Amino acid sequence: MTPSYLSRLLLLSSASFFVVLMFFAALVALIAPAAIRRASTLRPRRAARLLLSLRLLPAALAATVVTALCVPSYLRFEPLMTNEQAGLVSLTAAILGAAILGLAIYRGCSALLRSALYLRRSDGRESRVEGETVWIVPQGAGLALAGIWRPRLLISEGALAGLSSDQLAVALRHEHSHRVSRDNLKRLLIRLAPAVFPRLRTLEQEWVKHAEWAADDRATEGDGERSAALAAALVRVARLQSGMAMPELMTSLVAADEDLAQRVDRLLDAPTVAETPNRRFETIAFASAVLLIGGLALNLRLVHVLLENLLD
Amino acid sequence: MEILWSRGESNVRDVAERVDRPLAYTTVMTTLDRLFKKGLLDRRKAERAFIYAPRLSRQDWERQCAGELVAGLSGELLISCFLDNVGHDPALLDDLERKIKMKRKELEGRKL
Repeated sequence: MTPSYLSRLLLLSSASFFVVLMFFAALVALIAPAAIRRASTLRPRRAARLLLSLRLLPAALAATVVTALCVPSYLRFEPLMTNEQAGLVSLTAAILGAAILGLAIYRGCSALLRSALYLRRSDGRESRVEGETVWIVPQGAGLALAGIWRPRLLISEGALAGLSSDQLAVALRHEHSHRVSRDNLKRLLIRLAPAVFPRLRTLEQEWVKHAEWAADDRATEGDGERSAALAAALVRVARLQSGMAMPELMTSLVAADEDLAQRVDRLLDAPTVAETPNRRFETIAFASAVLLIGGLALNLRLVHVLLENLLD
Repeated sequence: MEILWSRGESNVRDVAERVDRPLAYTTVMTTLDRLFKKGLLDRRKAERAFIYAPRLSRQDWERQCAGELVAGLSGELLISCFLDNVGHDPALLDDLERKIKMKRKELEGRKL
């Protein structure tokens, strides 16, 4: 395998990644408003799954097409010695593809590293609170689940002292629900999936909101008392946080207020039970992708011809 | 930092004597020098030794740490927070508390 053969493979993979990513990202961006409207009619857990699937779809498909189709077809049909030169368009696509991929990997690795550092710096002590193993940290004013593989439940001394026992219990159940749903791993996948259009970011923000609601539902299990306690815990933590110095460049306070009010109203108005998972959408999407990619994989020659056209 | 907060101005020997585990004088000296270079300590020379003092009070330090953690949270951390760590309008919080109280009364009323 010569260096030029390998470099052409890299160029082709990168250009194909870019083309497929842009195509599906444009498609997802187009249907995003409708998907968000649809999500608002679903239970939070299903809504979160729909939004996350759409957010990750372009990157997942682009990666699958490159690894399952482009690379095998190139290895099988591309002659070792060839005089073909890459065209300007394919070269540009390859550079953009490599830049987007590089940036996504950098964002993912940087988020992993920052989270690990955050955990190391959050100088706490292990303890058992309401039957949960938690890390009590001196700084901050709230609760958080940090880490990917063995997430650690952090609770600040301020929150521990400021929340009543029923508020604390339901707040811990909320964080436990994030752990069960592997929400931090999903956050990592989102970082690794390039958001090439702003609407993909909107999907992400909507996912965050619905993931929080889903965790609220799992924590309260439709119990009115628990819902009121969780609402009270949210307001209490918001009060504790308001005494802290805030960096200037933060999320819009208005948006944060709206989110909090919406979450509390939701808990007070209609306590809902977390529904059992229904994976119909994912199953259909996964089966369609497998059929499409499998069909193309059976005809690698066709894939190779398409790639030749892309390269020239 | 704990020693300097509780004791106030101290030289290297004072700190070394109060550390939980036995540490070499030079280790403590290097640590204090690093803390000074990071801007966490002030120092002045008295006779032939440096006297160190914390630049921030414990409260200010904790506030700064909290601020840094908040700033960290606004970046790309893989963390699920119970509530976004941003300031909230106190009037809104009062309003929400009123609603929660009313809901609790309603729930208690149902029980009776």
